[in-house]
Amino acid sequence: MDSSMATPSIAADHRPAHLQLINVWKRFGPPERQTVAVRNVDLAIQPGEFVTLIGPSGCGKSTLFNMIAGLIAPDDDGSILLSNKVQQDYGLLGKVAFMPQRDLLFPWRTVIDNATLPLEIEGVSRKAARARAEALFPEFGLEGFETHYPHQLSGGMRQRVALMRTFLFERDLVLLDEPFGALDALTRSMMQRWLLDVWAKHRRTVLFITHDIDEAIFLGDKVVVMTARPGTIKCAERINLPRPRAASVTTTGEFIDIKRRLLAVVEEESLKTFGGATLA
Amino acid sequence: MKRDALLRSPLPMLVVLALAWWLVVPALKIEARYLPPLGAVIADARSVWPDLLAGFWRTLLETVIGFFIGAALGIAAGIGFAQWRWLERGVFPIFVALQSVPVIAFGAIVVIWFGNTLASKVVIALYLAFFPIAVNTLRGLQEADPQRMALMRSFGASSRQMFLKLSLPTALPTIMIGLKIGLSLALAGAIVGEWFGDTVGLGVMLLQALYFEQVPRLWVLILTCGGLGTLLYGGAGLIERRFIWWRAE
Ligand SMILES: Nc1ncnc2c1ncn2[C@@H]1O[C@H](COP(=O)(O)OP(=O)(O)O)[C@@H](O)[C@H]1O
Ligand SMILES: [Mg+2]
Repeated sequence: MDSSMATPSIAADHRPAHLQLINVWKRFGPPERQTVAVRNVDLAIQPGEFVTLIGPSGCGKSTLFNMIAGLIAPDDDGSILLSNKVQQDYGLLGKVAFMPQRDLLFPWRTVIDNATLPLEIEGVSRKAARARAEALFPEFGLEGFETHYPHQLSGGMRQRVALMRTFLFERDLVLLDEPFGALDALTRSMMQRWLLDVWAKHRRTVLFITHDIDEAIFLGDKVVVMTARPGTIKCAERINLPRPRAASVTTTGEFIDIKRRLLAVVEEESLKTFGGATLA
Repeated sequence: MKRDALLRSPLPMLVVLALAWWLVVPALKIEARYLPPLGAVIADARSVWPDLLAGFWRTLLETVIGFFIGAALGIAAGIGFAQWRWLERGVFPIFVALQSVPVIAFGAIVVIWFGNTLASKVVIALYLAFFPIAVNTLRGLQEADPQRMALMRSFGASSRQMFLKLSLPTALPTIMIGLKIGLSLALAGAIVGEWFGDTVGLGVMLLQALYFEQVPRLWVLILTCGGLGTLLYGGAGLIERRFIWWRAE
């Protein structure tokens, strides 16, 4: 396999994937009243890639993330591979930087102590942990707030603290579950650009859940669309918009073309969820 | 600023109450048996000042020792119950049953076991303090948010780290509620414990005042017990506001 001869997109497919999901399923509840949350998911993510995952609410995105983080075991049908190694149930705990949907800051800890929590758990000395966190404060726009408590911060700042905590847990694979879902539109678009800057600097592999199509296209190297529940991968689209991306990219013809295509697919799935709900 | 803080404290209300007591009793010719004049109560307090002080310290000591041992045992039991479900199922109902035995019934046995010593009052105080502290510790430890637990696990936290960094801090405000209830009960336990026989203590003085129908003395003791309770509760509140100010989200 001589990748130098191949076109970029094919070359990407031949590099060993950072994360690979093969026929992953998750069913909840006893057999007679079973909820299939995730069905037959196949997905490969290359090192350093920024992949956005979009799908109607309740389609199993968070469940998929919980499996990749090692918090729940996938059913026996398939497997999850990290750097080409098959992972045992719960074997992924401690290997993936996972940021859940809520910020989940600890109210009794100051901002800096919240950020250094994963380092503390890893056994890094308090002094070293703080030094590493302090270096990130300007970049995360939290300078001067080190000794504040979470209840003293705005929603956007809390989210940045949670992101800093995730980044300080230095794992190559980062899972972000709707990190900007609760923010107002202005803050959200600022945070998106900021996240791309941070990502460009640190080059981790990112898997990012959202239910916002603009956000998915603006951030991603690849947008993966999930179907309504039981969720599986409906399609994936590579986004070749040049980087670094400015906010103005969302008004270009190319962006709008991609959006139109994806919107059609996503709408179809959302309608299924909606239709299912009214029939039930 | 200073005056504002003073006005918002309970102090002005206390002054008003004292004034009312001082003026209303002679004005309405209330019999001393029901409510002695404030002056008589103050005079009586001054006459028994050394006894009162000794009794205050003694009861305070019994309460504090009983409370701390009860708190240590209660927190340990709460942690044990939270950690091992079989312990909760096997032992907790027994504690509940024991709890419903009135202290009075149980005080006589304690005196037989420990005699008329400090220890018997301490035991009664700790017996009363133990239960609410154990229950609140258990409840608090069960309050840890499952999503935060999942986050900790994703960071690779051990169960020890999970306990120290998440479950315990989450439980502290609830444990604090138990501690404050336990403190009031420990004081009641110490006073009641003294009724089973002793020579020093506010409870002893209460019993004597009742026996000899010394009404002003009763009021002196009621106020002193109230003062002691307020002091203890206020101290606990101060510690809470300083160290355990957060609430579950
Ligand atoms: N622990 C669980 N037990 C039972 N059903 C669950 C559990 N977790 C998730 N589900 C169900 O799986 C489906 C997918 O949920 P989720 O992954 O949270 O969706 P999303 O994040 O895409 O909104 C939902 O119908 C939800 O009710
Ligand atoms: Mg979700």
